[in-house]
Amino acid sequence: MGRVTPGGLDDQVLAFPETKPPKQWYFALAITLSAMFIGLVCIGYTFVTGIGAWGNNSPVFWAFDIINFVFWVGIGHAGTLISAILFLFRKRWRNAIARFAEAMTIFAVICAVIFPLIHVGRPWVAFWLFPYPNQRALWTNFRSPLLWDVFAVNTYFSVSLMFWYLGLIPDIASMRDRTTSKVRKVIYTALALGWRGAATHWQHYEKAYLLLAGLATGLVLSVHSVVSFDFATSVVPGWHMTIFPPYFVAGAIFAGFAMVVMVLVVVRETMQLKNLITDRHLDVMNKVILAMSCIMGYSYMMEGFTAWYSMNEYLHHGFMNIITGTYGWAGWLTISCNILIPQILWFKKARTSYFWMILVAIGVTIGMWFERFVIIVISLHQDFLPSAWRIYKPTMVDFGILLGTFGIFFTLVLIFARVLPVIATTEVKAILPDAQPSHHGDDHHV
Amino acid sequence: MKTRLPEHGPLETPRFWRTLEERIESPEAQSAAQDEFLPGAVPSFDDVHGLPVQQGFSRRDFLGLVSATAALAATVGCDRKGQGTVVPYTKRPVEVVPGVANFYASAWQEGRRVYPVLVKTREGRPIHITGNDEHPGTKGKTSPRTMADVLRLYDPDRLRAPKLDGRIQNWAEVESRLHAALVAAKGAGQSVLLVTGAVTSPSRKALLADLKAALPTLEHLALEPAAGDAAEEASRACFGQAVQIQPRLDRAEVILSLGADFLNGDDPEALGAWGAKRRLKHAKDVINRLWVLEGPMTLTGTNADVRIPVAPSRLGALAFTLAKELAAKGVPLPAGTDLSSISAGVPAELREASKLWADLLQDLHHAGRKAVVLCGAQMPAEAHQAAHLLNAMLGSEALTVRPAEPLATVKDLEAAAKGMAGGRYGTVVFWDVNPAFTFPGTTTWKDAVAKVPFRAWIGQVEDETAAQCQALLPENHWLESWGDFWTEGADVLQQPTVGTLYDTRQGEDILLGAIKALSGHGLGNYHAFLLDRWQRSLPAGTAFEQALHDGLVKVAAKATPPPFKGASVAPAARKAAASRADGLELVLFPGFATFDGRHGNNSWLQETPDPITKMTWDNPLSLSVQDAKALGIQEGDFVSLSLDGTTLKLPAVIQPGQAKGVLSLALGYGRGTGGVAKGVGLNAYPLMGLDPASANVRQGVRLAKAGGRKELSRTQSHHRMEGRDLVRSLTMDEFEHNPKGHRHMPELVSLYEEQKFPDHKWGMVIDLAACTGCSACVVACQSENNVPVVGPEQVAKGREMHWIRIDRYYEGELENPKVVHQPMLCQHCDSAPCENVCPVNATNHSPDGLNQMAYNRCVGTRYCANNCPYKVRRFNFLEYTAYKTEPETLVNNPEVTVRPRGVMEKCSFCVQRIQDVKIRAKGEGRSILDGEVTTACMAGCPADAIVFGDLKDPKSKVAQLVAASRAYRVLEEVGAKPAITYLADLKNPPLNAASNRGGHHAH
Amino acid sequence: MAAQDRRPFTDRLAALVAGPFLLGQRALALQWGESPGSPPEPPPEPPARLSLTPPEHAIKRRG
Repeated sequence: MGRVTPGGLDDQVLAFPETKPPKQWYFALAITLSAMFIGLVCIGYTFVTGIGAWGNNSPVFWAFDIINFVFWVGIGHAGTLISAILFLFRKRWRNAIARFAEAMTIFAVICAVIFPLIHVGRPWVAFWLFPYPNQRALWTNFRSPLLWDVFAVNTYFSVSLMFWYLGLIPDIASMRDRTTSKVRKVIYTALALGWRGAATHWQHYEKAYLLLAGLATGLVLSVHSVVSFDFATSVVPGWHMTIFPPYFVAGAIFAGFAMVVMVLVVVRETMQLKNLITDRHLDVMNKVILAMSCIMGYSYMMEGFTAWYSMNEYLHHGFMNIITGTYGWAGWLTISCNILIPQILWFKKARTSYFWMILVAIGVTIGMWFERFVIIVISLHQDFLPSAWRIYKPTMVDFGILLGTFGIFFTLVLIFARVLPVIATTEVKAILPDAQPSHHGDDHHV
Repeated sequence: MKTRLPEHGPLETPRFWRTLEERIESPEAQSAAQDEFLPGAVPSFDDVHGLPVQQGFSRRDFLGLVSATAALAATVGCDRKGQGTVVPYTKRPVEVVPGVANFYASAWQEGRRVYPVLVKTREGRPIHITGNDEHPGTKGKTSPRTMADVLRLYDPDRLRAPKLDGRIQNWAEVESRLHAALVAAKGAGQSVLLVTGAVTSPSRKALLADLKAALPTLEHLALEPAAGDAAEEASRACFGQAVQIQPRLDRAEVILSLGADFLNGDDPEALGAWGAKRRLKHAKDVINRLWVLEGPMTLTGTNADVRIPVAPSRLGALAFTLAKELAAKGVPLPAGTDLSSISAGVPAELREASKLWADLLQDLHHAGRKAVVLCGAQMPAEAHQAAHLLNAMLGSEALTVRPAEPLATVKDLEAAAKGMAGGRYGTVVFWDVNPAFTFPGTTTWKDAVAKVPFRAWIGQVEDETAAQCQALLPENHWLESWGDFWTEGADVLQQPTVGTLYDTRQGEDILLGAIKALSGHGLGNYHAFLLDRWQRSLPAGTAFEQALHDGLVKVAAKATPPPFKGASVAPAARKAAASRADGLELVLFPGFATFDGRHGNNSWLQETPDPITKMTWDNPLSLSVQDAKALGIQEGDFVSLSLDGTTLKLPAVIQPGQAKGVLSLALGYGRGTGGVAKGVGLNAYPLMGLDPASANVRQGVRLAKAGGRKELSRTQSHHRMEGRDLVRSLTMDEFEHNPKGHRHMPELVSLYEEQKFPDHKWGMVIDLAACTGCSACVVACQSENNVPVVGPEQVAKGREMHWIRIDRYYEGELENPKVVHQPMLCQHCDSAPCENVCPVNATNHSPDGLNQMAYNRCVGTRYCANNCPYKVRRFNFLEYTAYKTEPETLVNNPEVTVRPRGVMEKCSFCVQRIQDVKIRAKGEGRSILDGEVTTACMAGCPADAIVFGDLKDPKSKVAQLVAASRAYRVLEEVGAKPAITYLADLKNPPLNAASNRGGHHAH
Repeated sequence: MAAQDRRPFTDRLAALVAGPFLLGQRALALQWGESPGSPPEPPPEPPARLSLTPPEHAIKRRG
C-alpha cells in the first residue's frame, strides 16, 4: 500500500463499499444480528410483563437499565471528542480516525437512548418526559435531572448526527461519482445533497463544520455532566458528590477511546487500512487512555477521601461497601481494569502492541461498565435505613438486553463499514504532503 | 364489445370521440360534451360556485361517506378492553347510598377471643374492619387477623353451593341426607359426634343444648388447636374447670411473662393498656415493668424491660422457685399448697444473673396485688399452674379469671379417633374445624374418620377435613351471619353486614334444621332464635335494635373467679422440679399469619411479615445463635427436623435472643387445600405431642443440616442499625436527665423556597415506647388502601408493596439482644427528595403538607424511590391487580385508586379520609376537629402509638407531642424535613440491671 | 396552535389507513370468514357479577 496519494486514497476507501463483502463479514453480521434479536426479544418480553422481568427491586430501583445507559452514552463520547475538540485544537492526526469514531458515537448513543425509553414503568407514556403543549395543562418538572437528561442526550444525538453527516457529504458525492451501480447511484445522489465540490460549497462546508465542531465541543462536556447530575444532585450516599461531572466526563472519554481502539484495530486489519490508520494513531489514542486512567484513579481516590474527610457515616459505609461489601469484587474489578491494567501503557511497546492495547481496551470496557455498576447498584443496595437494604441479582432478561445493545452496536458498525467511507478522505487529503506546500512539519504526515 | 357502430355516419361525425355514447351520438352524450363538469363531479348542492344543481351522488360525497364509514369502522374497532358498563340501581336498596359508607357493629371470635368490630361497607360491600369503640375492653381496637378477615369473605375458593358425594346439590337434598343420618343414629341409639370451635356464644350454647335434647346421643367436642392444651389442663387442675384469663394491664405495675405473648396483637385490650402505660409525657409518670422469661423470641419478649432466655420446659421450675422464695419473704401460700419438692435459691439457669433474680423477686414482692404473672398458652402445664399459684399468692388484680366452656384437648381427640375407628359413631359433623389437618397423627385420624358411615362438614373453603366428608354444607362468613358472644363487660352481638354472596347458610341454621327434623319443632332460623333469646334477657329500657346499633349491651362483670385449689400444686411442682432442659427442645406456636391454619388462604396475612423474623409466606425453623453456630447452620439453609419418626425438611432462620437449645416453629402452614394456602410452608402439627400437658413443647428433637438453601421471602434482611441514629431508646434514667442525648444537629439550609401551608399541615407522631411491633397498622393500611399482594417470590426479590412497614433492629449481643421496632412509612417531607427528581411532576406537595402521588401521571422512572432516604416508595414491578375479578375485587376500597403496573405508589396519609372529613366539616360549616381525621394505621393501632393531626393547630395532640422531650425525626440530617416525628422508645430496667443487658445505651 | 392543526390531520391519516383496511377485512370476511380457522368453542365467559344484597334485619351504626 505504501505512500498515500489522493487517487490511491479514493481507490482504497471509496471503492471499498463497491466490493463484495467477504464471508467473514456475513459471519460477523450473523452473530451481531443474533445478539440484536435476543435483545429485542428480551425488550419485548419486558414490555409485556413489566420491569419485574428484570432483577431490579427495592432499594435497587435502577440497575442494568441505567448502567447500560450511562455505559453507552460514555462510549459515545470518544467520537465527538476526536472529531470536534481535536479538530478545534488542530490535532490533525484525528482526521484519519474521526469518521469511524463519530459513527461509533452515533451508534453508541442509539444504544443508549433505548434505555431511558424501556426502563420506565409505562413506556407507552414515556413521551410525557417531553414538555409538549397539551390540553391537560400538564408540564414537566424542570428541577428533575432526568428531564435535563432528555434534553442533553437528544441535543447530543442530533448534533452528533448532523456533524457526522455533514462530514460525509463530500465523500458521498465522490462515491456517487464513482459508482457504477444504479441503485447506489440513486442513494448516494440523494445523500450527497447536490454536492458538486464547488468553491462556495467548500466555503459553506468549512464554516458549518467549524460551527458544529464548536457546538459539539460544548456538548461533549455537557452531556455526561448532565448524566452525572442524575446521581450528583440526589441525596443517595455515594451519588451525592461534587466530583461527579468531571469524573463522569473523563470516564466517558476513557471508555469511548477504549472502544474506538478496539474497533479500529479490527478495522485496520480487516480492511487493510494500515497506511491510513497508523501505529502512531494507536499510540496517541493509547496515551489518551493512559491519561484518562490516571484521572479516574484520582477520582476514585477522591471518593475515598471524601468519604473519610466528610465524616459522613453513610458515605463512609458506602465507600467501604465498594471495597469490602457483598459487591466488593465489582469494586476491585473496576479498580483493576480502569486503574491498574492501563498503567502498562506507560511503555511505548505496549502502546503499539495489539495484545496489550486490546487487553487494556477490553479491560477498560469491562471496568467502566462495572464502574457504573458500582456507582448505581452498590450505592443503592445499602443506603440510609439498614432495614431496607437488599441484595440485587440481575435476571437473564437483563443480560439479554445488554447483549442486544452490543448486537445493535456492532451490527451498525458492520453495516457502516460496508456502505459508507470509513475514513474521511477529504480531510485526509487535506493533510497529505501533496495537498499543500510542505514545511516539513510533523503534522503533515498521516 | 358488441355495440353496433353506424357504418356510415353523417359528415359531422367527429373524428375522435371520448365515449362510445358520443361516437353513436346519443343526445345525452351530445349535451354532456358541452358541459364542463360531468354529472357527479361536483356536489349536488354546490351553490358557492354557481354551478347547476345536479342529480345523483357526487364523487366528493361518495369519498366523504367512504372515509366517514372508514372512520366509524375504525372507531368501532377501538374497543377499550375491560370497559365495564355503569348501571344505576333500578331499585335502590334502602340502606345503600352510592358513595356513602355504612358502618355496622358486629363481632366474631377467633379461638376463645371475641373481637367486637365496626364494619365499613360501601355500596353494600364490607371493605374495612376496625374495633367497636363502644366496647369497654377493646375500646375500638382489634387484631391484625380480624382486620384481614374481610378478605376471607371474598375468597374465590369459598364453596358456593352444597355438595353431596362430590357433586353440587341443592340444600334440600343435602339436608335430607344429613337429617336422615341423624334420625337413623338417634333411632339406633348410635352416637353422633359434633366437632366445633370454642363456644363463646350464649345463643350457640343454648342451641347446642337444644340439639343435645333432640339428639341425646350427641357428643360435642370444642376444638381450638391454637388455644394450648397445656393451659386447658392446668386450669382444670388448678380451678377444677376451664377458665379464660384476661390480663388487665392497666392495673399492673410489674408484669412477669412466662413465655406469654400477650403483646403480639391478638389481645387488643392488653395492647391498649400497655400503650397507655408506656406513652409517657414526663419521666416522673408511672411506667410498668415487664419481665420476660421465655425460650423463643416473642414480640412480648422484644418489648421486655428485662428478658431472660430460658428453656420453656424449665419455666415451671423457675416459677415455682419464685413462689417458694416469695413464700419465704412472707407472702402466704394458698391453703394446701405443697412446694416441698422445689428447692429455694437462684435456679441454675440464672446463676450468672443472680442480681436480676433478686430484682425480680423484689419487684413481685413490692408490687403485690399490682403484679401479675402471665403464662404463654403453649408453655407446659406446670408453668401455667405455677403462674396460677403466683397470681393467687400475690392476689393479683391485674387479671380476670372467668369460667369458660371447656375445650377438647388432643387427648379427647385421640379418644374420639379411637371411638370412630371402633365404630362408635354413626355420624360425624365437623363445623368450622379442620382436625384432619390439625390432629398430630394425620393418618390415624383419617383412617378413623373413614370408618364413620356418614360424615358432614360445615365450613367455607373445602379443606382437608372436607375431603373426607360426603355432605359439604357451605357456611356463611361471619360478616353474613348472626350471633352473640360473652365478653368481659358486655354482651356482644354479631349481625350480618351483607346478604349472603352465595347459596350458603350459617352453621346455626343448619343445626336448627337438624333440631326440627329430629324433634319436629323449633324456630325457623337462627335470627329468630337469637332475637327470641335476647328479647327475653335484654335489660329493661334497651331495645334489640339499639343493641344491634351499638353492637353490644354493657353488663356489669358478674362471674366470680373460681377458687384456686392449693392441692393441685404438689404434683405439678414435683414434675417441674424434675424437668431437665437437655438437648434440643421444640416449641410449636400458632402462626402470626395463619393462626391454627384457618387463615392460610388469606393472602393479606400471608404477606404481612412476621413481626420478629420478618418472614412472609413460610414457616421456617427458628433456632438460637449458639445452636446455629454449633451445627454450622446458616440462615436459609435447609435443615431436617426429626421427632418421633416424623421428619420435616425446612429452611432455618437464626433468631437472636432465642434461648440456647430451643427451636421454634409456627403451626398452621403447609395446608393441602386452598388456592393461596396450598404448599405455603410445612405442616408442623405432626410434631405436636399427644400429652396435653406438653403438647406444644417437645423434647428430644434431632436437627441436622439437610443440604441446600432457600431464598427466604423476607422483608428485612439486615437487622442491625450500624450505629446509626434511627431508633432512639432511652432508659427511664436517660429520659429524665438527658432525653436528647449528645447529638448535634447542624443547621439545615435549602436553596429552594420553603413550602407554605396556608390552612393545615398534616403530621404524625409515632410513639416507639407504645409500639410493640404487632403489625396491625400494616394490615389496616393494606385493607384501606388496596395494597396489592405480590407473593413469596416477589417478596424474596424485594418487591413487597406495603405502604407501612415495621423496621425491627437488634442491638447488642446476639444471644440476648435489645430489640426495637419502628413503623416506617412515607414521611411526607416538606422538602421531599422524591418530588424534586420526578421529571413529570407525578409526585408533588399539597398545600396541606401531603406528599401526593398522581398515579395517572406517573411514568415509572423510579427515580423518586432511589432518592427516598426512607425507602418507603413502592413500585408496581409487575401487574398485581388488573387480572383480578369478582369476588376478589369486591374488597377494594372505592375511594382509593387501584394502581396498574409500572406506577410508583406509597403512603398517602389516607388522603381519602382527610378529604372525607374536610367535606363533612365544610358541609357543616365548621373547622376540622382535632382527632377527627384518623389514618387507617392510627385507627388500627391497638396501643395508640400513632397520632395524626394538624401541626398548624397548636392545641392539637400531634402538635403538642412534637414538642415532647422524647421527640426526634429520623434522618433529620438529610434535610428532608419529615412530617413524621418519632418519640423515643422507653425501657424501664431495674436501675442496677442496666449493665446486664448488652449494648443497652442509646446513642 | 400546533395541537389544533395536528388533530384533523391525524384523524384523516387514521381514517385513510384504518378505513380501507377494515373495510377490506370485512369484505374478505364475507367471502372467506368463518372458514377453517374459527375456534371450535368460545372462551369461557368471565364469572358473572355477584349480586350484592343488603343484610336483612341489620341495624347500621352510621352512614
